[in-house]
Amino acid sequence: MAAIELDSVTKRFEEGGRLSRFVDSVRDVDPDDVTAVDDVSLTVEEGEVFGFLGPNGAGKSTTINMLLDFVRPTDGTIEVLGLDAHDDSVGVRARTGVLPEGFDVYDRLTGREHVEFAADSKGLEEAGDRVEAVLDRVGLSDAADRKAGGYSKGMRQRLALAMALVGDPDLLILDEPSSGLDPAGAKEMRDIVTEEAARGTTVFFSSHVLEQVEAVCDRVGIMREGRLVAVDSIESLREKSDADSTLHVRVAGDVDAVNADAVTALGGVHSVTTEAAEDALTVSCSGDAKTAVIAELESQGVEVVNFETREASLEDLFLSYTGHDGTDRTDGGSAPSGGGEPSESDDEREVRA
Amino acid sequence: MTWQAVARKEFDDAVRSRWLHGATAFFVLFVGGAALLAFGFLLPQDLKDASNLFGFFVDLGIFSLSFPGLLALVLGFIALSTSYGSITQERETGSIKLALSLPNSRTDLVAGKLLGRGAVVVVALLTGFLAAFVVLVGTGTAVSYGSFVPMVALTALLALAFVSIGLGISAVADSNREATLATLGLFLIFGILWKPIAEGIPKLLNYVAEEAGVGALENVTRVQIGLFLKYLNPLRTYETLTAQLYYGPARARLVSSTVGEQLVIAPVFEQGIPPYFSGAAMMTILLAWIAVPTLVGYYVFEKQDL
Repeated sequence: MAAIELDSVTKRFEEGGRLSRFVDSVRDVDPDDVTAVDDVSLTVEEGEVFGFLGPNGAGKSTTINMLLDFVRPTDGTIEVLGLDAHDDSVGVRARTGVLPEGFDVYDRLTGREHVEFAADSKGLEEAGDRVEAVLDRVGLSDAADRKAGGYSKGMRQRLALAMALVGDPDLLILDEPSSGLDPAGAKEMRDIVTEEAARGTTVFFSSHVLEQVEAVCDRVGIMREGRLVAVDSIESLREKSDADSTLHVRVAGDVDAVNADAVTALGGVHSVTTEAAEDALTVSCSGDAKTAVIAELESQGVEVVNFETREASLEDLFLSYTGHDGTDRTDGGSAPSGGGEPSESDDEREVRA
Repeated sequence: MTWQAVARKEFDDAVRSRWLHGATAFFVLFVGGAALLAFGFLLPQDLKDASNLFGFFVDLGIFSLSFPGLLALVLGFIALSTSYGSITQERETGSIKLALSLPNSRTDLVAGKLLGRGAVVVVALLTGFLAAFVVLVGTGTAVSYGSFVPMVALTALLALAFVSIGLGISAVADSNREATLATLGLFLIFGILWKPIAEGIPKLLNYVAEEAGVGALENVTRVQIGLFLKYLNPLRTYETLTAQLYYGPARARLVSSTVGEQLVIAPVFEQGIPPYFSGAAMMTILLAWIAVPTLVGYYVFEKQDL
């Protein structure tokens, strides 16, 4: 059974509606109907860790809000854990842990009281130990008896995560979970996602921090202007994108001795160029062809002195899907191997775009 | 159903607000203080009876004053203030997303808020009555429990009615600002404008009837319509129900009414109270003020996107 199933889901915020006016003011468009989500169909399987990517305003949060019945779709059907997202929303949320976006805490209640409220609402009995356990897990034990009104943004985020985790949900829905967290906190958040996934929990989380998604997700979906433009595993997406991995190999001895055609014939290799002056080869290939290339060179009796790879950063990929193909990126966008880290200025550019 | 969880959370949250501490202190000073002033200092020994304060109605026809009327006005304001932001504020800050991310339905949320915030106001109110009771016992004042206890209960119901009205506004309002203005406006209507409107409507009906050629309405009918409309105001419903505890229904129904009304209606009431002016009818009105605003608010809120 699918954990999340969206079928041709569209959400238009009508003119004069509370939210549309807000979205209008943010997006600076005419106050006509705003299509926040446009004919999105998506299936997330049980046990999967699914990353939901896209720039701000792409419709990620609206989609998540529809899963939770905060917002009702204009068209289409949504099932979560096999239940109708509207008619049986309480049933959905009974088995789902949610870290919503743009939430706030109850200023006068302590951290512990928040988690107790969550345990209470989820109908957990004698939940004292479990409350302590989740508070400890998110690193809030020491602050648990302080009023949440005095918490920092990161602590509020942890608190909401604790509320989501109490009662061992079958599904975790996390909307921008690492916003407000420092790098260490973001790492802990990723660890918790990984632990939950290992326990068999389905995890659905949205982010514009690509590094996060790359690190923990089985599959990703990319939203752009309300449409789902890609759904695939990261590896597979990378292959499909224009950007490739580049393997730079230095060999001992004459590089011309290498049978370049044999290397080119390997699966996943797109092109091979030799640079005689440097005794080096540059191989453009998909990420998983690299070991095959090295093995082929060694089988030809060529000694590999060293090699380095430059992967197409996920950011390059992401930007190519979301319509920011890097043409305005005069800094070259030449992130070293591994995922690219979006800098502050990139975020700002997204917001303004 | 998880409204208990929401109600508990609401209570824990609201009970810590400084506003509520102020309200509690106010009730203690107002109800307890009034009792102390009346029975500790002002009234002579032979008038030391709780009903001389809690059943205090001065009715001079043009000018009327009653302790329950004053208490109702203050209580209405405090109860409205406690609840008018209960949903709009949560929507504006986003804390509602925490509550609704949990398996709480919107029904649970609204019901929990009515009971949680209602409990908070009732507790503050009861503290005030407790202080008064201590004073009554301390000053050796006679207390007729048959009227004192029901009066406390009626006051608690009035508190719930105004909490419900505020909650209804909060559920329907677009923003906190809108809820604030609507609440103030409504309080003004209940406190001041209701009376002239209630008196104006029968005159208008009379005019329409005359214009339509049906003929003028009977004077008694006109006054009855006006009076009934006045008793739709929860402040007046409460006042007359309280008065009934001390003076019986016939006199109670004429509490705070004008000389004109009294002259016309008194003979009618002496022959028997019409069902729509009975204590049961008044009680129904008061209970409707608890149920209807919250239900209407819920009906609108249920359909809205957050």
